[in-house]
Amino acid sequence: MAQEPSVLTVPRIDEFETMDPPGAFDEKSEQVQRQVYGTLLTYAYLERPYKLVPDLAEAMPTLSADKLTYTFHLRKGVRFHDNPCFPGGKGREMTADDVLYSLKRYADANINRHSWFAMAGAVAGLDAYHAATLKSGPSVDMTAADVAGLRRIDASTLSITLTRPNPLFLFSLALTSTAVVPIEAVRLYKDRFGINPVGTGPFMLKGPADRKATLHFVRNPNYYGVYPSVGAPGDAEAGLLKNAGRKLPLVDALDMPLVQEPQTAALKFLKGDLDLRPLDRANFIKMVARKPDGTFRLADEYAAKFALYGAPALDTYYMRLNMKDALIGRNPALRRALASVVDAQAIIDVLNNGRGRRLESLVPYELPGNERETGAVNIPHDVAAGKRLLAEAGYPGGKGLPPIAISFVGADSATHNLADLLRAQFASIGVQVRPEFMDLPAHTKAMEGGNFQVSYNFWYADYPDPEDFYQLFYSKNTAPGPNIGAYANAAYDQAYEAMRLMPNGPERVARIKTMNAILKQDVPVIVLYDSVRYGLAQKWVGGFKRNVFLQEHMFMSVDMAAKKKGP
Amino acid sequence: MGAYIARRLLQAIPTVFGVALLTFLLFNAFGPDPVRTALGNHATPEAMANLRHQWGLDQSLAMQFLEFLRQIVTFDYGKSFVTGDDLGTQLKAGALVSLSVTVPPFVFGAIVNVSIALFITRHRDGVVDKAARALFIAAMSVSALVYVLGLQYLLAFKLDWFPINGYEGGWAAVKYLGLPWLIQLLLLMGPDIRLYRTLFLADINADYVRTARSKGAGEGRVLFRHVLPNAWIPIITQNVTTIPFLILGSFLMERFFSIPGIGNLTIDALSRGDLPILKAVTVLGALALLLFNLINDLLYAFADPRVRLS
Repeated sequence: MAQEPSVLTVPRIDEFETMDPPGAFDEKSEQVQRQVYGTLLTYAYLERPYKLVPDLAEAMPTLSADKLTYTFHLRKGVRFHDNPCFPGGKGREMTADDVLYSLKRYADANINRHSWFAMAGAVAGLDAYHAATLKSGPSVDMTAADVAGLRRIDASTLSITLTRPNPLFLFSLALTSTAVVPIEAVRLYKDRFGINPVGTGPFMLKGPADRKATLHFVRNPNYYGVYPSVGAPGDAEAGLLKNAGRKLPLVDALDMPLVQEPQTAALKFLKGDLDLRPLDRANFIKMVARKPDGTFRLADEYAAKFALYGAPALDTYYMRLNMKDALIGRNPALRRALASVVDAQAIIDVLNNGRGRRLESLVPYELPGNERETGAVNIPHDVAAGKRLLAEAGYPGGKGLPPIAISFVGADSATHNLADLLRAQFASIGVQVRPEFMDLPAHTKAMEGGNFQVSYNFWYADYPDPEDFYQLFYSKNTAPGPNIGAYANAAYDQAYEAMRLMPNGPERVARIKTMNAILKQDVPVIVLYDSVRYGLAQKWVGGFKRNVFLQEHMFMSVDMAAKKKGP
Repeated sequence: MGAYIARRLLQAIPTVFGVALLTFLLFNAFGPDPVRTALGNHATPEAMANLRHQWGLDQSLAMQFLEFLRQIVTFDYGKSFVTGDDLGTQLKAGALVSLSVTVPPFVFGAIVNVSIALFITRHRDGVVDKAARALFIAAMSVSALVYVLGLQYLLAFKLDWFPINGYEGGWAAVKYLGLPWLIQLLLLMGPDIRLYRTLFLADINADYVRTARSKGAGEGRVLFRHVLPNAWIPIITQNVTTIPFLILGSFLMERFFSIPGIGNLTIDALSRGDLPILKAVTVLGALALLLFNLINDLLYAFADPRVRLS
């Protein structure tokens, strides 16, 4: 009797924008794109700290002596999914031409509206190509144009030449936006390519994608990937290496229904209709208990049925102080006074139920250059010092100081609670707060126009490198770039420009320490915490470990006999 | 009648123009910059200028408004800023789905609720009436969200009578729509039955009813032949003016049961700042309201011979 196909069912919590890789740069789109597409490089599934490994490349690229040219040898025999876009519907072998074509599409300003920043200025000739697409408009296909830095050596070898040595460049080749697509599919489906994806990835999409309905994927029988045999400490004990060496994906099919409401997702998961789900706050409070050591476990009634997982999201929450503001920007003592009274641990404990880690610098602990080796950006939490600093700033006991406006994204009860908590903390030295609740577009507009005093923000790691966080204070990145507080300090810029191009090591750490010291002195930011996200997996799911830079589905197995019985 | 319809349609033009102008000003002149929202924190001035040009937002406000008026007249609302999908196709598909969610409970609810209201009126001030009033007031005091959450938990999760969520096209949709229909029926019962009962009671002691009784008409005949026809106009008003909202869908039902109607489309567009969808839904909603107000007035003439359309 034929074995029943194994099906993994994972919810999508929102509609994706497009499955055309360079067309979107958001979590929901990446969640579906990653199933279908491959990139030159990717991240090791289990190893931590996060590490780049080859994906469509056969091995990590070689670097020329002048540190400018990377040469990639492609994995042999990788085929695109079978699709009507190919003669006879049979997927052909992927070549260096496909990689170069896809990189040019990535650089096309009419297709890529979101993630060009990751490669901007990096590859010889590619910025000129990007500028030319801006001029040509969306109807012209420029991909036949020559780009000096992109070279085909032979069908399975290519080189990429940089404008200057740049160790960060390789991270951009692991972005889903740079995934390899076949020209035939782009030409056949045109503006419907975003719902008719054709790639080299672990799964193939059945039929055109309906954003609002369940997406059905089936195993790509030609997929080249195997389950890794190296993990982080503790992975073997957790059973995460028992599938080492097995051909991926481990399941025959992947279903991704759209379930936007947490309550609906909760009921479907409890019933066994979903194999995995993130835990919203209400269900976290209900289902999870805190152990004496501060870690979490599932409450007894759920522990037998489900597994709890949690992983740092690699985001950093912080309060940004507007350096152009007539009051805040010109009074360093006032900024220091404000920074000295914010208690991030209270936000984590009271509002987030412990789901976070207090940070003193911008960089989450999983990344190099975090505070353990580079020190703090924050000045110490000290209410007495805050009172003294406020007097130094010219406002003893807050007298004469107008209420400080803090801008928040959202107006729900959680955001109001956050505002109330901060109001109480600032009130401890006599500072009054005027919260401003905005939706995201209004908040973005206020930030861009510099119309704020203090803004509550967060920043996700686009790649596992501290540079991604320190760019937020580089003077050339002011709005519409990410330096929304218009912070400018020549010494900081100098250290940042040097650090950006350095490999990790003592010299880079020294530059980051310098930047931290400058930020600590100038106080353009109050760093708060990074979040830890929790979720539930059914007991019949194996091989799951949260990796924020990947989609884990191809590594996961499903025990269909247990799944049929239900939780 | 033809002249009346023509006049009403002509009168609607300045109203539609006003709605279009307000909608346009709200979104295009005073709203957040959609280009900035779409491009995020890494936007360059060149990329912003390029996208602004592609979306026609680099033209003068007057030209943009003229383009919006053209869209309204031709029903061609362009493409979504976020997905690039054609809005005509999306709105048509969404409206059909929304109607499948809202029309059955609306029609069935109108029949059932008028019947129950007549029955209660027949037994006015008795135990049935008092119990029904208490029950409906209590039912109306509970938030619609509680009905959704509670019945989804009880009937779909615990008792397994319905799927928890989902949607399929064609007849298969019935399987998924059963619970949203039931919830909407329950939500309509309290306010509708109380309204109808009040309407019936307003007439129950009128002179013409007393006359009918004095001529020996039974209570059933009084209710069906005399009271009900006289209450038609407010009942029609109540129901016909609801129809535009049926097309716009039920935000709650569509969200919680993952139904891809206009309601869900609108919520998603709101969260993403997708202006073309928001503008199209706003204007189409206004057009539908105007149209059904006209139909409402036309129906008066059929319901009440004293109403003359001139």
